[in-house]
Parts: sequence; C-alpha cells; structure tokens
Amino acid sequence: MNCNEAAALVARYVDGELDDLQRRAVEQHLRTCANCVAEHQAALALRDRVRADVPYYEAPPALRERVRALAAESAATAPGRAQSWRERWRWLAGGALAGCAATIVAWTVGTAVVAWHTNDDVAAEAVAMHVRATLNNHLIQVASSDQHTVKPWLSARLDYSPPVHDYATEGFPLIGGRLDMLGKQRVATLVYQHRLHTIDVFVQPATGGAPPALRTLRGFNVAHATGAGMDWTAVSDVSPDVLKVFVERIARDDAP
Amino acid sequence: MTLARHAQFEAVVMPHLDAGYNLARWLTRNPSDADDVVQDACVRALKYIGALRDGDARAWFLTIVRHAFYDWCKRNRPAEIVRDDGTALDLAVDPLAVDPEQAAARTSERQVLADAVAALPLPYREVLVLRELEEMSYKEIARVADLPVGTVMSRLARARGLLQRSPLLHAIRGRTSGGDL
Repeated sequence: MNCNEAAALVARYVDGELDDLQRRAVEQHLRTCANCVAEHQAALALRDRVRADVPYYEAPPALRERVRALAAESAATAPGRAQSWRERWRWLAGGALAGCAATIVAWTVGTAVVAWHTNDDVAAEAVAMHVRATLNNHLIQVASSDQHTVKPWLSARLDYSPPVHDYATEGFPLIGGRLDMLGKQRVATLVYQHRLHTIDVFVQPATGGAPPALRTLRGFNVAHATGAGMDWTAVSDVSPDVLKVFVERIARDDAP
Repeated sequence: MTLARHAQFEAVVMPHLDAGYNLARWLTRNPSDADDVVQDACVRALKYIGALRDGDARAWFLTIVRHAFYDWCKRNRPAEIVRDDGTALDLAVDPLAVDPEQAAARTSERQVLADAVAALPLPYREVLVLRELEEMSYKEIARVADLPVGTVMSRLARARGLLQRSPLLHAIRGRTSGGDL
C-alpha cells in the first residue's frame, strides 16, 4: 500500500469502516509512514475534540411532555375527532409528504424496515398500495385530468382497457393514473381528488368474487363495487359513505 | 389500533427523542425551532408508525426529523438549502465564521469548536452530526440523509477539512497552544 492509497483510507479507518483486510493494510502502512501517521493522528484528534467539545443536546423535558401528550391525544381520537386529526395532519404535512418521499422510497426498498403485512386480502393490499404511493409521492405516473390521456396510457401497459372518466363536475376531478401490482396482477389505478383527499381507484377485470362492499383498514376506508365488467376498489381517507357512493358511481361507467 | 399505536410510539420513538432533538437542534441551530421540528416529526411518526415493523427505529425517526427540518427550512429559511452537491458548497461561507477574532475573544475554546460546527454549511453539518454525535455508520447516514455512501464519505471529509481549517479554530489555537490538531 502506498501513501495515496492509505490516505484515501485513513478517514474510514478512524470511522471503523474498513474490512479486516483493508484495516490490516492500513495498520501496516502506518507503521512505516510518518506522513500518514500524522494524518491519522490529526483525524483522531479532531474526532476526539468534536466528541468532547461539541454538545449533544437532549430533548428538554417540556418537549418530551408535549410529545407524549400528542401521542396520547392521537390514541384518544374518537371517530368524531379522527377527522380533525386527519385534517390537521394534512395541514401540517402539506407539501411534506412530497419532501418525505424520496428518502422513504430508498428506505422502504433498501432496508425493508417498512414491511407491509403479507396478506392476500386485496383490500389490505390496496390500502398498502395507497399508503405506499402516498409516502413515496408516487401517486401519479401519468398526470392528467383528461381521460383521453390517462386511458390510452394505461391501456398501452395492460392487457385490458379500464374505463376512465373525469368526475370533476361531481366533485371528484381525475388527477391521473398509475400502475400497481394487486394480488400479483398488474392493475390500473385511477387517482381522483375530493376536496383535500386523494382517492385511489384500483380497476381490474371482474373476477366474480364478492368482496365486502366497505371496510376500514389502518384508518383508511376501502369500498368495492363491480360494474362495466370491472372490479373497482377505492381506497381513501374520505368518509366511508362518500367513498361508497363514489365507487358505485364510477362502476356504473357512464360519463358525467 | 390507536392504543397500540400509542404504545408503539412510546416504545419506538421516545427512546430516540434525544437523538431527534439533537439533530434538529444542530440543523436549526436554535432551541425553539428545534422544538417545532421535533413536534412536527412526531406527528409524522405517529401517522406512519403502523408501517414500521422492525429494524432501526432511530434511523427511521431521524429520517423523519430530517424531512421535517427541510420542510420547515423551506418555509422559514429557504436560502439555507443549497441543492448543489458540488463546488458551489465550497464557496458557502456562513456569517458565523466571518469574525473569528471577535468570536475567539469572547468564547472559550470549547465553544469555538461548537461554533465552527454550527457554522458548517448544512449538507456538511448534518453528516458530521450524524457521524460524530450520533456515531452512525456511513450506511446509516446514507439512509437518513438520502445520499449514496460515497457522497456521505466525501461530505464528511469536507466537513472535517472545513473544521480543521476553520478560522475560528485557528484564531483560538494561535492564542493558546499554537499546535496543530
């Protein structure tokens, strides 16, 4: 090992980030090279000074209390308050989800720390897709309020062609679409907006099964309807009755 | 479900509240702003805690704190966010660093190093704090700061270089020992 090679590794050596082989090579080089020893000493000295002199700020007790109260409040949310909690979250979050997204994508993929229930249940899977898409800021692959843009985009990527309508006049503007995997099938997901809520509608050819019309999972509502030869599964945090009416409305597949 | 979430929050997030606050404190450089950032982060953590099954809760929470900070920063101090990862950062000089003699005269040597860390441009400061105060591995830092490991290493090297050459440190060292680090 020469000085150039060693110099590149000294910082990682100090940080304990070398494997055994590299570490031994650096140690051997340090026994023979005064320049690199000086480098190593400087790195150690800086690290020790930073750790000794740079304060580690502990959370003030008042903050700790406020945070605990926050958690208690969220545990105590009755259905009536759930809405206001959600509203407040949304207000706080605003563009935050977008900001959060990139890292959380890497996080999810890279470390599998966020592991969803492995569950065949389509409703649970649909909720997981919805949450993941929201977290990842990946709600929309084709952004358009124009059904004539979204439909061909989806058809080109699927072996079926889902009906797509914009229901803006009824308070549910189409904002785009994307592809998801649901029950090991590639499905079309239509994304609608209702006030501040996002509604994902998973559309796939009807299977003849009879899933429950309405469920609540992890705080999200899942409504199901069959119509126009398709199964329609809507996931959102809008109220269950609104979601049910909406999914039945789109399953009728007549233009507004 | 919500009760379970509450218990999970207590078990998963509360042990890392200090870590979260320390990061927020170094990023905002201000106690009350750090409070706001941590509270916002906790709201987010409560929301998503159901999705956390196992793994490194500290890194998970610090990731959230960091995002809460950047969102706060965008609203309150947009100028601090420098997206360029290249040489533009080398030119970034923090106002805290411009009057070393005065700073050195009124503060102790200890304080000077803390000031020098506080004066680091944000992208360097965050990796340095995660490495030296949180003692995270490169891989963990990469995860929290959403960077490739190579970038973590280069930013860390840059942060240390800036500290070693910091005019603040040189001013104080000139008056005291005169030795090198």
